[in-house]
Amino acid sequence: MKNSLLPPFALSLLCSAPHPAVAAPEPLDVAALLDRIDDMWRGDASEAVVSMTVKTANYERSMKMEAWSLGEERTLIRIIEPLKEKGSATLKSGNNIYTYLPKTDRTIRLTSGMMGGSWMGSHFTNDDLVKESRLRQDYDAKLSFQGERGGQNLIEITLLPKEGAAVVWGKIVTTVDAGSLMPLETLYYDEDMAVARTARFTDIGNLGGRQVPTVMTMIPSDKPKEFTRIKYEKLDLGVKLDDAFFSVNRLKRTR
Amino acid sequence: MYTLTIAVRSLGRNKRRMVITTLATALAGWIMLVYSALLDGMVRTMERTVVSLELGDLQIHAEGYRRDPDLYLRISRGEELADELSKRGLLSAPRLYTFALAASGVSSAGAELRGIDVEREARVSEIHKHVRHGSWLDTTDPRGIVLGAKLARSMNAKVGSEVVLLGQAADGSMANDLYQVRGVLKTISERADRSGLFLTEAAFRELMVLPEGHHELALARGKHDLNAAKSIASSEAKGAEVMTWRELQPAVAQMLDSSVAGRFILMFIMYGAISMVILNATLMSVFERIREFGVMKAIGVTPFQVGFVIFLEVMLQALAASAIALATGLPLAFYLQRHGWNLSSFAGDMSFAGIAMEPIWYAQVSVAGVATAIGALFAIVALASLYPGIKAAIIRPLEAIYHR
Amino acid sequence: MLWKMAWRNLWRHRRRTFINLGSVAFGVWLTITAVGLGDYSYLRTINDSARMGFGHVTVQPEGYQASPSLEKRISDTNNTLSRVLEIDGVDHGVVRIIGQSMLASASKTVGGAFIAVDPSLETPEVNLFIRALKRGEMFSGTAGREAVIGSLMAEKLNLDLGKKLVLTAVDKNGEVVSELFRVKGIFKTSVTEVDSSTLLVPIDRIRKTLGYGADEATMISAYVEDYRKSRSVRDLISASVAPQGAEVATWRETQSELASLSDVDRGMNVLFLALLGVLISAGILNTSLMSVLERKQEFGMMLAVGMRPAQLAGMVLTESFFIGALGLCIGSLLCAPWIYYLLEVGLDMSSMMGTDYSAGGVLIDPILHIELYWQTILITIVGLLVLSMGAALYPAVSAARIPPIDVIKKVA
Repeated sequence: MKNSLLPPFALSLLCSAPHPAVAAPEPLDVAALLDRIDDMWRGDASEAVVSMTVKTANYERSMKMEAWSLGEERTLIRIIEPLKEKGSATLKSGNNIYTYLPKTDRTIRLTSGMMGGSWMGSHFTNDDLVKESRLRQDYDAKLSFQGERGGQNLIEITLLPKEGAAVVWGKIVTTVDAGSLMPLETLYYDEDMAVARTARFTDIGNLGGRQVPTVMTMIPSDKPKEFTRIKYEKLDLGVKLDDAFFSVNRLKRTR
Repeated sequence: MYTLTIAVRSLGRNKRRMVITTLATALAGWIMLVYSALLDGMVRTMERTVVSLELGDLQIHAEGYRRDPDLYLRISRGEELADELSKRGLLSAPRLYTFALAASGVSSAGAELRGIDVEREARVSEIHKHVRHGSWLDTTDPRGIVLGAKLARSMNAKVGSEVVLLGQAADGSMANDLYQVRGVLKTISERADRSGLFLTEAAFRELMVLPEGHHELALARGKHDLNAAKSIASSEAKGAEVMTWRELQPAVAQMLDSSVAGRFILMFIMYGAISMVILNATLMSVFERIREFGVMKAIGVTPFQVGFVIFLEVMLQALAASAIALATGLPLAFYLQRHGWNLSSFAGDMSFAGIAMEPIWYAQVSVAGVATAIGALFAIVALASLYPGIKAAIIRPLEAIYHR
Repeated sequence: MLWKMAWRNLWRHRRRTFINLGSVAFGVWLTITAVGLGDYSYLRTINDSARMGFGHVTVQPEGYQASPSLEKRISDTNNTLSRVLEIDGVDHGVVRIIGQSMLASASKTVGGAFIAVDPSLETPEVNLFIRALKRGEMFSGTAGREAVIGSLMAEKLNLDLGKKLVLTAVDKNGEVVSELFRVKGIFKTSVTEVDSSTLLVPIDRIRKTLGYGADEATMISAYVEDYRKSRSVRDLISASVAPQGAEVATWRETQSELASLSDVDRGMNVLFLALLGVLISAGILNTSLMSVLERKQEFGMMLAVGMRPAQLAGMVLTESFFIGALGLCIGSLLCAPWIYYLLEVGLDMSSMMGTDYSAGGVLIDPILHIELYWQTILITIVGLLVLSMGAALYPAVSAARIPPIDVIKKVA
């Protein structure tokens, strides 16, 4: 039930502020800022190569995957490495998640009972994949801080759940560097306003011809020694993809 | 000796009455014997029902596992511990648990995977006897799985269906593989029916990449009583949590106790009815003959002797009655202990507090049970003879002779 | 004439009569107690189980029983419910949506079953969870975002009163949907499975979540004033009231295992009563047979003075009838205070159930009561009369067979 940092929609939560919710008197156009940040990783359609490292008390694993997205509703991720899981694919289409398993040559639609399960052994759940694109509907965004803090000129945006939104967080706070407008950190607070998990954005580099953070690390607060790290190795925002690319039938097709 | 002769003779003179009284008492004794064996058996059957299918008499878990069943919270030396425990008379079955998605065709359902040490499991539980369709797990068929009844229904799976399991392995990878349904269980318990998916320990370990450790050790207490078994298990499994089934399922234990309590009330009622028959028979056999006793007294027999004759007569009859009751009741009780009384014609699948119950009612014959029944018979007979005995002893001869 | 003689005979052999009367009266007492306790235990088990979810009679979508799914639903529930409530013998009725879901808090996710209810229809009478409330309270509206959850679920999700919880389920089209709730109350039934995976939520809120119409649900449960009428109520509902595409089932069908168990329990009780009957008739047989033997001389005389053997047998039977009837009256009078005590106060069994019977929660009542139906009373009365006369049959026949001359000779 954690919100998503998943590739390639991982950072899209930053675009989740619905435009009308942005209060007019704000000196900064929060919506535009969020849109801008979101477009760093995800345009109308995207194709990316991403590596993911997961460290928990019980295991450490890394994987490499290809990922495609179209709009907010469609995402396809296929594993390249490790060999054991090569070809495994996850398709998110609207609220549904399908998993293709090459070992058994089966495609399975996850039931609601599985949504709480970990996605690929990471600190994200399957539900995160579904909920991620709904942030826009679920939260109101507002500028909560602008100025200097800790020697850095910052912009801080706070997302508060709308009345009745089916989300577990108390609030989500994102900090952006005021100069470069690069995201630095996103904090997820529980209901008692204690930090439940932290996402950090680092390693600014060139992706698809633009300067963006290429690495994000998610750390759960109750297990500070664990993390999931996602690194973008390639990103192409200029691809042409259609709905048929994201069909269940295409899931098992290896490239 | 003299009074004994009188007693035997006077019984002999009234053969028919003696036979009727003795038979009535014997019938009462017989019912008492068989019914109490059935009742003791029921208490045992119910407890066995609760523990024998999956719970076990005791369970050992790693500390904290029960609160938060985590794949990694394991008992590290399960097999070793099992061997140690079996040396001390406690058989045990190590088990593994995790949750996964089970899919068959277009249907899928969340399932609780249970990795079973097939050989050891059979020494602790009787789940292998509760297969409705197909057969139980077999180590030679690592792809064969067994499903809980409701799970099979909700997945639309039958024996022979292919099932894909999808979960998260211990190394964080995607655990997935293809299996074939080998068997579908009868009703076991709400949890096992709804989500139980049984596979061999080896298959579980391969799927979940979990080379060692166990989540649970289920124990059969063998000859020990529950508390003794617990202290033995605790001394062997240091650092782990040992709990009896009563602690694991307090509500079930309470329900069982209350059900047993209800049965014992019926037993009291039965004793009441039995005392009534014996009292009735004894009173009749003595009162009808008050005139005789009057004659005895008239010829110089002391009141004490009269009372004693009555007492002896009655006791001789009780002796004969208990011999008959034992001779006819014990074989039946032993038969019911061995073969049980099959109640399945009354009903199909049964469950008690959500736990499946065998439709066979076994009796339980014990020295204490038989002694109680026979002892009670004698006690009631003695008590019943007290009033008429005293009455006959103190009655005046003349009054007695005209007594009706 | 026969009646008069039989009546007089009884009082000529007072002691024997009193012993026999005692047997019958005691038999009445034992039988009524045993039957009443047995009936009470079925009643409780069946009603408790009905209160856990399905009611005595359930209207549900066709095929729901075989494989429950939120995609299956019935419509026109409000109208159907009001018509169900009009049926004679139906006490209560509720409309519910029951389904599987995933429940999440900021700290954890667990699976569980939700029961969506209309609190205005649910009373502690028909809803065990309300009775088992330990903290907080039941929600009052049907559209709110409030939930009443099990104590173990609260523990697992680290939830407390007022905290958020997100329910995720599959809607009527098979799509994954979520809804937010706040904990309003926490119940504890002490049944681990129930306390760790059940929650109550307001029905209209869930309807919206699942895309159900305002008049749709997965079941209508009827609570019957006397569970034995479940079948006839089911037939009435399915004949005239049930909406299209619905099936109607009694608790015997929705909870077949419980039904089997209660059948076996009943079987055992029948066995018990049969044994009790054997004992009571053995007592009476013993007394009557003895009395016939003792009165051989008397009977021989009667036959010698012209009484027909059939009349003699009739007289013996009439005596037994008097004893049976009188014994029943005395027995009933004597056991009335006892019955009243059991009905009103009950037997406290807590000492037989260990010290901490609270472990059983609302499901365990350490006080045993009895339940008496007029049918059982009638059957007991007729049964005991038949038993007492049946037991006298053999003595009566043997009395009739006495050869008059022999007897007199023998005595002389």
